[in-house]
Amino acid sequence: MRANPDARGLLQIAASTFRADVLPHVAPEARFAALMVANALEIAERELKGLDTAGHSMLGALALLYGEDADDALSGEDLRKRVEALQHRLCIEIAAGDFDHDGQEVLMDSLEAIVQARLGISNPKALGQQ
Amino acid sequence: MHVVKASDQSAASLLSDDNRARLESWLAAQAGASRVAVTEDGRLGGGAISLNLAVTLDVDGGPLAGRHACVLRAEGGGRISASIGKLREYVVLRAAFAAGVLAPEPLFACDDPAILGHDFYIMRRAEGLGAGHAVTRSEAAQPELARELGRQLGLLHRITPETEGLERLGEAPDCPAQETLAQYRRWFGDLGRRDPVIAWGLRWMEVNAPLPGAVVLCHRDFRTGNYLVKDGALTAILDWEFAGFSDPMEDLGWFCARSWRFRRPDREAGGIADRADFYAGYEETSGRRVDPARVAYWETAAYLRWAAIAVEQGLRHSSGDEPSLELALTGRMLPEIEMDMLRHLRSIGGMASGAVEKVA
Repeated sequence: MRANPDARGLLQIAASTFRADVLPHVAPEARFAALMVANALEIAERELKGLDTAGHSMLGALALLYGEDADDALSGEDLRKRVEALQHRLCIEIAAGDFDHDGQEVLMDSLEAIVQARLGISNPKALGQQ
Repeated sequence: MHVVKASDQSAASLLSDDNRARLESWLAAQAGASRVAVTEDGRLGGGAISLNLAVTLDVDGGPLAGRHACVLRAEGGGRISASIGKLREYVVLRAAFAAGVLAPEPLFACDDPAILGHDFYIMRRAEGLGAGHAVTRSEAAQPELARELGRQLGLLHRITPETEGLERLGEAPDCPAQETLAQYRRWFGDLGRRDPVIAWGLRWMEVNAPLPGAVVLCHRDFRTGNYLVKDGALTAILDWEFAGFSDPMEDLGWFCARSWRFRRPDREAGGIADRADFYAGYEETSGRRVDPARVAYWETAAYLRWAAIAVEQGLRHSSGDEPSLELALTGRMLPEIEMDMLRHLRSIGGMASGAVEKVA
């Protein structure tokens, strides 16, 4: 049974309340810790909300290399396991030298898309920087 | 390594009355003084690995008679793999100071656990602004500061493994690139088989490893955020806890890495100026030319090193050894460090880059 609001809803309102109503009144000596709290709440919120979306982005990025293994219907634990399996496979191939000469362009595109999906959760601001 | 300077963190006094009394009598003996009084002035930044306590020493008698603003630097909560321990750090600081590097003068070191319970040393306190965001706030570039940092690094790199007193640092590596790679593989462990960006970085380092050249004393955390600036001028280079023998270009790659440009990613030398300014200062004092292809190699190594440290910091929290929000958030920095590495690899173009002679 799911309570309402759920964990995601609670985190969302806690994070926005903290930033709007608490942070401005925090004493200077606690400001650094308070900013870290706000940051942690927002990462957790984005992760609860966007983990499957990020997983599909990563799967799409890996599909650039392994088209046959991408599957849009996956979600939750199954999606996580599929992404992990493909990443493991890619690691083995990279370490074996499979991309030393050919395929670097596609590999770089794929790696960038994987990191972008993870950045979207941990630090979306870093996505825009060059 | 401190990601963020938590200088405003409140902390319980490091020195209990008993500790202070033992420290004062130990210092009096070390300084040949009749009496030393220690006053605590608060905790300083850099607390992620080391404890830095601002102290004032009032010394009666002996060659150091007078009042001295100092820092007591002690082993912190948990050592991370890359750090060398406080006594070796003291030895490095002494060698750097003797070579004319603008490092805080080291005064005393103690390895007797009966005094404070852990190793510590005391150095003079320098003044200035350290935080990376503050140092890179200036609208105008700071070419003279970059040049001076280059000169200081050049002076440091004149120190070779043969220098007396550095035996504590252990053997110099025959091939810094190969040894660094082996070290990274150990640090990353299983992650190198789960995270393809890390796997690609390690493979790139393996294929592009340069042949060994000069091996000198490197700071290994020489970057914006680890030096102090007052009125636009350099006052001190800090945080020597990762120092060791390596390829001199390693320190240049680390300094220029995107991770330490803070507000100004467009200013490639530490967020303060162009590489050319920094390199020119380096060539003035080091007695060698900057090798841009080698610097690029070591910049890739810099991202991997920072990634390994961030992962380790996150695990210090997650393992329950040292619950800390700062450590936890450092662990979550991995994707942005990886993105910086990918941008760097794009900018230097592909696997077989540069003209450097390679091991493989």
